[in-house]
Amino acid sequence: MFMSFTITPEPRDRMNKRLPVPFSAQLPEVIRSNYGKWVARKFHGNGIIEHISETGDRVFTVKVGLPSNSRVSVDTLEKFIEIADKYGLGVVRATRGMNLEFITDSLDKALKIKEEVEKLGFPVGGWGTSLWHITSCTAYLTCTTAVVDAPSITQVLYNNLKPYFTGEEKLPAKLMVFVAGCTNSCGGTLAGDIVIVGHYGQAPRPDPERIKFCLPSSSEALKKATPDVAAVCPVGAIRVFGKPDGSVGIEVDERKCIACGRCKNVCDYFDWDPTKIGVAIFVGGKTSNTGTGPRLPYKVVPWLPVNPPEYREVVAAVKKIIDVWKREAQPGERLGDFIDRIGIDEFMNKLGIPRTRHNRCEETSWNFGVRQFITYM
Amino acid sequence: MGTETVQKASDLERGMKMLEYLERGPWPSYVTELKRTKYPIEAYAEGLARKYTPWLSGSFRVRYVFSGILARRSRDGKFVEIHFRTYAPAGRFYSTSYLRKVVEVAKRYGIGLMEFGGNTGALVLNMIAEKADEAVDAIRTIMGSDVGGSGDTFREFYACPGPALCEFALYDTLHAMDYIRSHPAFYRYLNTQMFPYKIKFKFSGCPMDCATANSRADFALIGTWVGAPEVDQGLFRKMVEEGKINPKEIVDSCPSKAISWNEEKKELNIDGSKCLKAMNCIKKAFPAIRPGRNRKIALLVGAHIQGHFGPKLARAVALLDSVEEIVPFATELINKYMELAPRRHRIGDMIIRRGFKVISEVADKTLPNKTRGTPSSHLRISIGTNLTDDEREMYENWAKQVTSEYFGGGSGSR
Repeated sequence: MFMSFTITPEPRDRMNKRLPVPFSAQLPEVIRSNYGKWVARKFHGNGIIEHISETGDRVFTVKVGLPSNSRVSVDTLEKFIEIADKYGLGVVRATRGMNLEFITDSLDKALKIKEEVEKLGFPVGGWGTSLWHITSCTAYLTCTTAVVDAPSITQVLYNNLKPYFTGEEKLPAKLMVFVAGCTNSCGGTLAGDIVIVGHYGQAPRPDPERIKFCLPSSSEALKKATPDVAAVCPVGAIRVFGKPDGSVGIEVDERKCIACGRCKNVCDYFDWDPTKIGVAIFVGGKTSNTGTGPRLPYKVVPWLPVNPPEYREVVAAVKKIIDVWKREAQPGERLGDFIDRIGIDEFMNKLGIPRTRHNRCEETSWNFGVRQFITYM
Repeated sequence: MGTETVQKASDLERGMKMLEYLERGPWPSYVTELKRTKYPIEAYAEGLARKYTPWLSGSFRVRYVFSGILARRSRDGKFVEIHFRTYAPAGRFYSTSYLRKVVEVAKRYGIGLMEFGGNTGALVLNMIAEKADEAVDAIRTIMGSDVGGSGDTFREFYACPGPALCEFALYDTLHAMDYIRSHPAFYRYLNTQMFPYKIKFKFSGCPMDCATANSRADFALIGTWVGAPEVDQGLFRKMVEEGKINPKEIVDSCPSKAISWNEEKKELNIDGSKCLKAMNCIKKAFPAIRPGRNRKIALLVGAHIQGHFGPKLARAVALLDSVEEIVPFATELINKYMELAPRRHRIGDMIIRRGFKVISEVADKTLPNKTRGTPSSHLRISIGTNLTDDEREMYENWAKQVTSEYFGGGSGSR
């Protein structure tokens, strides 16, 4: 079916990167001819959006929720391709929130796509005042530094919050949830409405036997350069020293350590106690310049236990946060804007969360993003 | 030895039970997708039961490819897992003909699994170790793309859909992304790991920032305008009469109170000097209120989560007229970054160590006569927490209380 091809004869050619097919080759004719001419949009239920061009052309996009971490098997993708060819314009788009958008040219076809994907078990929704997406990193699927498993947390959250995605239950404004397995937060930005980040909850312990792979071989070498393991620590809690017998030792100061996990990034041979790992929940960040502008979130829950596969503690905490916001926010007010209005202390009281040195949130005035240019505009 | 194997078997069994639970919910399950492929699901199940990631970083090289290939081996040495990050077209529009080629490659050289919308913007394909060498060439010849975007190089660039689908786009993000990615100054770094850490570019068409450039990109380019938004009074009046919009709501929603509504003249006035470019009014009353005509691209630098000093938001550098203007600035700043920053420091960390002066010096030289922003000072947020046992118990109790509130009695933990 596919024509045969020859492997590049000269592997050295690989030094020159081949850039992907230009985006214009991927676009269907309607979008190419209306490029930059869109003037309005209309919502047809939650999940179907109509783009109207000044030329009168219309394009409908259908937003479909993918499994967590947007893991798709080839079989499923083939089914999507069939749907996109049959009812769509032969193009799909992967969104930033790890969902999938089908693009078509009439409402009937859009509804047909909705019917077809729902038959496969994939929900349609995620626009307007609803849950947009829960983004997840790969964690235990492929990652070497993951502390907790993000895809399963995402799966459980999605199972519990599905009515918010499909629009059966309304929210005051859009809600974006990000789940990351470790403090590197590959699961998306920290500036999300609700961000769940796994962390160790304790200082790492060097694996006594294998840690030597990350250290210089002799104390002589230590004089020339600091090893990466010690250099990456932002608080200087890791001390690498030469022993009298010429070997190199390592020590972690537990009182200094902030458990940021950056040493684990450069060296695999740190260990932790699986019973002490947990997730932190951050609330109220956003990147958009709307409302109070881009802001980093507050850490409201510094630690929660993780109990796969149900993750009841995490689900309950997220539901509680959503319920407080849903009950008391004004229409169109995002979680961050809502917290700004009532104050973070008040919000924490409503959650009833104990306050320690770990979630002592300071109120700050945020002046970030495009508004930093404001004096010139 | 005997007890150890028994323990392992029970871990696997427990893990498989957990996976069964994860397949049951109303949301389409990733476990079902994994089971359709040759992914080593046992390793994952065991990791889930032990609460410990099953993977260690492996070493794996394809000749003359220095970026984009990641290899893992499991802790017990039984499994390997290889995945490739591939470059995606701008805006992540995939035509079905392109996807068919992806399917072809994923079937022939891979285990039939992919991450469709990777967080950096790449399409991630899981491959078979023995065929990895051929797979690189297959991705180039069949798919017409390439592997790349891991290690200390440029990560995959990301642009919002921009003018292809959105009426708010203030500049051509898709073209901008292609222009930057294929520019000789940046192209030479695509395969070469030379930076102290990764560098990300993100392109957002308007201040609503759908590409999350404000919080995730070392170089964030966000479309904006100078002055007040344009108001079509006639159209606005008509929309008010039709009941589509409520002028009071628009006045109230403005974060800087720059808008006033004249009830007698039925006229909306916007004070351009106060306007924060929040787009609240534009979103509500488009197309009666549109972004101003004097379009600019805001250049911000230094946002990231992963890095030495914790997460940061971007800081303003200059207002550009076109995307081409960023090239001399970015190349100069990247050279400075390579020279000044220690390993594993992002550009944002360099700003904290050396001060914003580093950036403004480069901007003075490469972007003369450009209006500058006022960079804000930062709140430091630490993500991780080193708790004592007492504190742990405190939060455990709170968790029990909330759990019983939502799931009824019992702690709910297994």
